[in-house]
Amino acid sequence: MQPQKATVRPIQKFASAVSKCSAESAAYGKCILADYNSVHKDLCAKEFMRLKDCYLLAVKKA
Amino acid sequence: MRLNLSPICRPQKWTKPLLTVGGTARRSYAFQSGSLNFEVFNRRAKWLQKERAASNPEHSRQADYLKDEVAMRVCERLLDVKRQFPRVLDLGANSCNIARALLHPDPDPESEPPVTEPLATKITELIAAESSHSLLHRDADHPSLSTSHVPGFKLTRHVLEHDELLPFEPDTFDMVLSSMSMHWINDLPGVLSQINSVLKPDCPFIGAMLGGDTLYELRTSLQLAEQERKGGISPHVSPLADVRDVGGLLQRTGFKMLTVDVEDIVVDYPDMFALMQDLQAMGEGNAVLGREMGPIGRDVLLAGDAIYRALHGNEDGSIPATFRIIHMIGWKESPDQAKPLRRGSGQASLKDLLEGQ
Repeated sequence: MQPQKATVRPIQKFASAVSKCSAESAAYGKCILADYNSVHKDLCAKEFMRLKDCYLLAVKKA
Repeated sequence: MRLNLSPICRPQKWTKPLLTVGGTARRSYAFQSGSLNFEVFNRRAKWLQKERAASNPEHSRQADYLKDEVAMRVCERLLDVKRQFPRVLDLGANSCNIARALLHPDPDPESEPPVTEPLATKITELIAAESSHSLLHRDADHPSLSTSHVPGFKLTRHVLEHDELLPFEPDTFDMVLSSMSMHWINDLPGVLSQINSVLKPDCPFIGAMLGGDTLYELRTSLQLAEQERKGGISPHVSPLADVRDVGGLLQRTGFKMLTVDVEDIVVDYPDMFALMQDLQAMGEGNAVLGREMGPIGRDVLLAGDAIYRALHGNEDGSIPATFRIIHMIGWKESPDQAKPLRRGSGQASLKDLLEGQ
């Protein structure tokens, strides 16, 4: 049980990286919210890629 | 004279009837007999999730806030029943949350005069039944389950082989309690009628489970995220019983004097991942049959968190998660129980009463 506690779980690393991208996250959310009754694949692909790029950068820095 | 009968009118001997009963020519009708065998949840997955949650007692205890709160609210209802209960069953005990609530030194701090003795004094033996051995025995030596301050109370743990089959004799319990576990039961009518059967006549069943719009924020966010990222959706939040269904079910399974009510508990989390981690630590992960196996993809998680914030987020940056608790009380039928009066036997008109005001 002890070693489990000492290691940082991947989801925690993920969450802390995502938290550094609040602006991109808000832009993506806004895009979905504008038309959430008819969401289809890649509706907000552009905003999502910006969010993902930011996340990948944050992971690299960490 | 000899009549020349046409072949049609001639008496014929039926050698082989067209329709035979019990023969091969019998038509089969589509009918339902007995209870419908309806599988929604993967019982083994649920069991594994509970065992996993209990394998990290510290985290599991931290995430017990919801179950302890609901167990407290369930047990508060006992304050209204002026009775002693020699033998009580806690069905789906999780980590004995009901026992913890019963042993709480001051169950009703708002009452006047203050009630200071624990509710466990009303009970002689509590049988905590749960399918996950590790979760049930997680707090075996924990101070919160110490019974030393209530001498007449005994807690017995019972590991269920199958969480939808009660291995108890009929008419043996003075009360059945259940908190936060009946939303994982596949055959709810079957379990409710078993509960009705193990109860003694004129004894209550008091239960609470998640239902209705529980976690609708998480459900909608993940649906939108999957729809936008992958172009299709898979269930991530269980289908849950509605308040209407619960009332009907209790009635159908033979309970009398029903009370069904709902309350929402809204918990704020820093982000969607904290909510999901806590759900995992509660052992309340997704166990719907036919769900997509394996973890949710990174892209969907990333998109889901952004949508959750945009669609439901609080102003301070946290996100709310709604837990809708359906409380139910039903009493087993007994001839000496209070019953509603016969239809049409009313003496005063409700219309006059209401219009007079």
